[in-house]
Amino acid sequence: MNITKTIDATGLSCPMPIVKTKKAMDTINSGEILEVLATDQGTLSDIPAWAKSGGHTILEQKTEKDVLYFYIQKA
Amino acid sequence: MSKKVAIIAANGGLFDAYKVFNIATAAAASEKEVQIFFTFEGLNLIHKQGMNHLEMPEGKEHFSEGFKKANVPSIPELVEMAQELGVKFIACQMTMDVMGLSKEDFIDGIEVGGAVTFLEYAKEASPTLTF
Repeated sequence: MNITKTIDATGLSCPMPIVKTKKAMDTINSGEILEVLATDQGTLSDIPAWAKSGGHTILEQKTEKDVLYFYIQKA
Repeated sequence: MSKKVAIIAANGGLFDAYKVFNIATAAAASEKEVQIFFTFEGLNLIHKQGMNHLEMPEGKEHFSEGFKKANVPSIPELVEMAQELGVKFIACQMTMDVMGLSKEDFIDGIEVGGAVTFLEYAKEASPTLTF
């Protein structure tokens, strides 16, 4: 997977992971991929919901050592 | 689907502030246009001094530990972020008159308006939330 940008939102709680994701998404182009790292369990439902509202696609989502990883392709 | 979210902030405690600003920033980060109408005690949330000293409900002070542990942003930080994301703050003129407050008592960037201003906006908003 060709990741354009990574943001680290680990340790942050709602609504910060979403705010950071939105800001990072604004800096990349359509079709490019953003990697988001988070530890807030709320992001498990929040990031997919947020992506849906903007028409973005979650290509992959995984958990490694308590860190949640999201790979979002910009619409 | 409506692109507008309307929020009424009518209470002035710390918990109220989080409810209002978390939803507002989350909505703004989801490409929604957001307006918050601050009325009565809600004005406290954007008062220059008041917003730095918001109180927890009586008997709930022990939650301050939880706020630290969860690494929750402070209210002034959330307010700044909300404004950066384009959330519009409207202070209720009538309440300001009752409480003897002027626009200068509030953080920069707010607007002052009446109930009709808000209702006009909320007419096309979904959801409209009250805290």
